[in-house]
Amino acid sequence: MNARTEEQELKDRLSLIETMIAEGRRTTESWGWTFVLWGVAYYVAILWAALGHSYLAWPVTMIAACMATGVVVSLKTRNQPSTKMGHAIGSIWAAVGISMFLLFLSLGISGRMDQHIMMAGVSSMLGIANAASSMILKWRMQFACALVWWALTVFACFGKGNALTVAFLAAIFFCQIVFGTYSMIRESRRRRQKGSQAAIHA
Amino acid sequence: MPELPELNPVIHGKLRLALLSLLVSVEEAEFTWLRAKTGSTDGNLGAQLLKLEEAGYVTVEKRFVQRKPQTLYRISEAGRTALSEYVQALKQLLGGAM
Repeated sequence: MNARTEEQELKDRLSLIETMIAEGRRTTESWGWTFVLWGVAYYVAILWAALGHSYLAWPVTMIAACMATGVVVSLKTRNQPSTKMGHAIGSIWAAVGISMFLLFLSLGISGRMDQHIMMAGVSSMLGIANAASSMILKWRMQFACALVWWALTVFACFGKGNALTVAFLAAIFFCQIVFGTYSMIRESRRRRQKGSQAAIHA
Repeated sequence: MPELPELNPVIHGKLRLALLSLLVSVEEAEFTWLRAKTGSTDGNLGAQLLKLEEAGYVTVEKRFVQRKPQTLYRISEAGRTALSEYVQALKQLLGGAM
């Protein structure tokens, strides 16, 4: 083997390492659908509550969304390895979800829930989860969603009536539906780009 | 003139190198996932994983999930160190060649 062939062989080895590490990390990049699903769930809960069944609307819709997320995640991640980054991001969202569930269930049962508290609570917690995820992923678009949620947190404390409802619906639309759809398109593009994989034999 | 490093022969095999690189990026991986990512045959993959296991670079856990057998592989600390040293050696060799 001459020196040039040997050098090329070594470069191929380095390139193989990079490709395989990227391939391993790629497995956690399919979460856009959860944003869309939860965005739709929030709209269903709001609509249901507005139709006069407010005591059941939020808990039933949120539990149904939780179950749907759990089922789809378990189906999608079957035979897929977990990564430290995926584990970290999943932990943030799970912790925020549990906090929201306990807070709003307790506020609802105690009769201390009102529109301002609910919107401020939901938006601040979604701001925390989006910001933490965006910092781990170094993803500016998701950080922009966190800023929208935090702005809504402040507005929820000062705003009134219909303006508050419109702001909440708009935040759900942009930070859940639009951002989720954008993420899904991005993930799909990436999958297509790296679709073909070379067979490796020892 | 400094002596050029030797490449670790256990890692140097293409499939074994691909397997360690895949495992370093995940917490643990199933046999079937590794097979899909490398496009290798069951026999070849099993043989190369066994070599990595014997060298102490990967650990294996066998369990049953919904009555189906599942084999999980994890990279060990020795495996991480060996891969890191291999990359350093490669870079040093390429630096010398250029």
